[in-house]
Amino acid sequence: MTFYFTGIRSFPKLWKSNPYLGLGPGHSSLSVFLKDCYGIKNQEKWFSLKTVCPQNTKAMNLLVAKARYVRKKDEGSSKQVSADSHMFAAGAAKKRSQMNPLSKEHVLPPVKNIFQLPTKPLNSEEWDKLKEDFKEKANFENWIISQMIKCHSSVDVAKSVLAWVAAKNNGIVGYDLLVKYLYLCVFHKQTSEIIDVYEIMKARYKRLESGAYTLLIRGLIHTDRWREALLLLEDIKKVMIPSKKNYNDCIQGALFHQDVNVAWNLYQELLGHDIVPMLETLKAFFDFGKDMKGDQYSNKLQDILLYLRNNQLYPGESFAHSIKTWFESVPGEHWKGQFTTIQQSGQCLGCGKTVESIHLSSEEYEFLKEKIMRDVIDGGDQYKKTTPQELKRFQNFVKYHPPFDIVIDGLNVAKMFPKARESQVLLDVVSQLAKQNLQVLVLGRKHMLKQNSRWRKDDMEKVQKQASFFFADNISEDDPFLLYATLHSGNHCKFITKDLMRDHKACLPDAKTQRLFFKWQQGHQLAIVSKHPGSKVTFQHILIYDTVVQTTGDSWHIPYDDDVVERYSYEVPTKWLCLHRKT
Amino acid sequence: MSVSVTFLRPFARVLVPFTLHRKRRVLYSTTLQRYTSSKIPAVSYPNKESTSPPEELELDRWKITMKSSVQEEGVSTVSSSKDEDTLAATRELIEMWRLLRREVPEHISEEELKTVMECVSKSSKRKYLKYLYIKEKMKKSKQIKKEMKIAAKEQVKKDQLPETTKEDKQQNFLFLRLWDRNMDIAMGWKGAQAMQFGQPLVFDMAYDDYMKPKELQNAVSQLLESEGWNRRNVDPFHIHFCSLKTGGAYYRELVKRYGEKWNKLLLTATEKSHVDLFPKDSIIYLTSDSPNVMTTFKHDKIYVVGSFVDKNMQPGTSLAKAKRLKLATECLPLDKYLQWDTGTKNLTLDQMIRILLCLKNTGSWEEALKFVPRRKHTGYLDISQHSQEFFNRVKSKTFNSFPRGSVDIHRKGNLNENI
Repeated sequence: MTFYFTGIRSFPKLWKSNPYLGLGPGHSSLSVFLKDCYGIKNQEKWFSLKTVCPQNTKAMNLLVAKARYVRKKDEGSSKQVSADSHMFAAGAAKKRSQMNPLSKEHVLPPVKNIFQLPTKPLNSEEWDKLKEDFKEKANFENWIISQMIKCHSSVDVAKSVLAWVAAKNNGIVGYDLLVKYLYLCVFHKQTSEIIDVYEIMKARYKRLESGAYTLLIRGLIHTDRWREALLLLEDIKKVMIPSKKNYNDCIQGALFHQDVNVAWNLYQELLGHDIVPMLETLKAFFDFGKDMKGDQYSNKLQDILLYLRNNQLYPGESFAHSIKTWFESVPGEHWKGQFTTIQQSGQCLGCGKTVESIHLSSEEYEFLKEKIMRDVIDGGDQYKKTTPQELKRFQNFVKYHPPFDIVIDGLNVAKMFPKARESQVLLDVVSQLAKQNLQVLVLGRKHMLKQNSRWRKDDMEKVQKQASFFFADNISEDDPFLLYATLHSGNHCKFITKDLMRDHKACLPDAKTQRLFFKWQQGHQLAIVSKHPGSKVTFQHILIYDTVVQTTGDSWHIPYDDDVVERYSYEVPTKWLCLHRKT
Repeated sequence: MSVSVTFLRPFARVLVPFTLHRKRRVLYSTTLQRYTSSKIPAVSYPNKESTSPPEELELDRWKITMKSSVQEEGVSTVSSSKDEDTLAATRELIEMWRLLRREVPEHISEEELKTVMECVSKSSKRKYLKYLYIKEKMKKSKQIKKEMKIAAKEQVKKDQLPETTKEDKQQNFLFLRLWDRNMDIAMGWKGAQAMQFGQPLVFDMAYDDYMKPKELQNAVSQLLESEGWNRRNVDPFHIHFCSLKTGGAYYRELVKRYGEKWNKLLLTATEKSHVDLFPKDSIIYLTSDSPNVMTTFKHDKIYVVGSFVDKNMQPGTSLAKAKRLKLATECLPLDKYLQWDTGTKNLTLDQMIRILLCLKNTGSWEEALKFVPRRKHTGYLDISQHSQEFFNRVKSKTFNSFPRGSVDIHRKGNLNENI
């Protein structure tokens, strides 16, 4: 455990400390970045390359070991998740997909060709000879340097390629080769080389493109000439809005050189462009805050936490550690942090306090109801999902019925077990709920009333005795009606379906309303977990607390993403950081 | 590894002044090296340690020539305004991307450049540039092909010239070579007949609000092609362009593409809707979202095709239109006859009209569905088996299922009114 955490923690200090430890995360982010910058993806993929570079093998071994470790931990935690997980818990979707026997492991493509990359600088003749051996269509110089990037060859080898190309070409090296070389320099953090390439680029080209700017910024921020990175950022701004990575690099550079004002200004600018900052950027502010004393800075950090709250963002594991460390370092306030979980009752296991309820406020509730009616059901053209006549019929129906306790998506529930008869499954569920004296509404389509082998008339008659029902036209959508009926009945009303309603969420106009919808959905959706037809119907428990960054002044509760659990966008984390002030 | 590099660095710094005033020498040696590639270049630095191989010495030399070209290329243009500055900057950005072999055009006009700058997001910029790149590439390859053709023709002429002069004798022909014109006239006659007695086929043009300019252009291209297919057929439809607003986007694009021919086209273009022109119960709206499957082509019905290219995922738009007007809808029986593989069930307008024309003339679904793109399906289903099954099902349910399906279509409107 400790080893793992130290690995993560040392990542930001990568520059100074032992490069091997942090290679995991740094490596992955860089290579992804590279892929979309230089189209190296387009190159021949089928070559598997062997590098004998000792540094790389070592790093690879470490990565393999780490992956093994992570997997082990994952298995352990998945058991725990299955014990008490709700539908929207982080990793639940992954687990659901794994239950599907069809999903297979990735099969690696067969190795087609093995090309030995040189591990030490070659001279011109050796390169000439290598080029002769190379029989592919692509441009050899370009191809070889792309492969070097893939295997992270040492800078010297790449430099010898450039020297060879320059010698052939009157001392001129093409821009693309230069950029790729720059990538390698940045990757290996060869500061002086970066500055040399920077000088060359400045001399030869009046203006560069975004890829090279990004690399130069990334390279320059750790040098004494970091302020020039800000100028490069200005250059990017002339044509396009810089990426969040550009801002991240500049902010990190400014913090690295103790220039807090520049960092905050850049952060404000970033928010001004409506870019969602990288979590690393925010983390950097917290990491830096440990050495900063002063109310102003700590207020700004609390603003960041509120930003996380408002945008329903969750810090990663290492970020959570940074937050904890920062809080504990605030002098005179005696913050105490611990990593916990929240009980089903909504109580924090660490401090016993109850976290915020999932229920919407009445204004939010009315707002959401109106939006669902306007954007999901009506959507500008009532004929798309229903017809005006049907809508009228439905509205009258809802108006003249007492509020319901449960609204059932008839078709979704009935099709739960492919082998059982649909009407029978529906009848089972409805009668079980009716026994508890609940007002039940079943939503369905008209074809369910037609007698056939899947839908028996006598079953349906029994259903209609025990519950109210509304049958939409066969070509109308029933889900919007489900949502509206539930919302109309009030806060106590729940709905039953396994559908995650993502398509309806997507109909909502803005992110804020979508988050509101999601919050409401978490608190009101019941999903059936029974595995066999005929067995007693059990539901997944509903969350009664809201998973969001929250504070009461002298305590903070911050949900965070576990590094080893893959969380889908419609799931919420299960782990929390609990911070409270000792009094 | 890193240790050795930092070790090397101080040398390079020392070397820079030393080599700078010997620039000529360096240049000379590079050219020399090209010719005497078997030998290690003659320039050697005396203060180099013997442990590292000699060729590592020249690793930094290229930098000098690269840096030395400052004066040659450092031509700065004075920019007058900020707007022009961004324009120039964008142009340079595209140029630099081209150096990186990104998919951007080589030449870009002022207008296109402004379009690039108006693109809201980076990805839309990239997409537009890629579009320009492909356009440019196609144009270039076409040009090359054209030149090759001309050259080949010239070659043939040159070869044949002596022979043709020899055998210059009279030949007897029945017809003058005026085939194309005769074809056109014959098609015109047939078109005029179709205008009088042909079965109407409606293109509903009321979708211009749902489409972006690009989609609209595609739709117009497809309309042009459909009209061409119809003209060449033995028994053409009488085409109606309904709800075509004069002066609207659709109208402008059509007139632009047809040019002078627009007013001589043998079809009916009208601002009126199809429900005004024809009785409502004889109209069948064709849409892939329809729950009803087309079984046969009916010669007394008026089929309506929505001239709508939907790249923006707005499912159910045409079905909503038909629902609003309470029209019967049908979709092609693609799943019944074809083993569907990938792609949407929406077909292009020209494919649609070819299928309808084929059905009209032969009535065979197998023949008609040949116009469905091959990439979308893996082959025909065994029809005989299928129909057998269908027949059995009908028999077992007596006359229960079949008539009800067809009655449903017409009764839908009534049902809604009752409620």
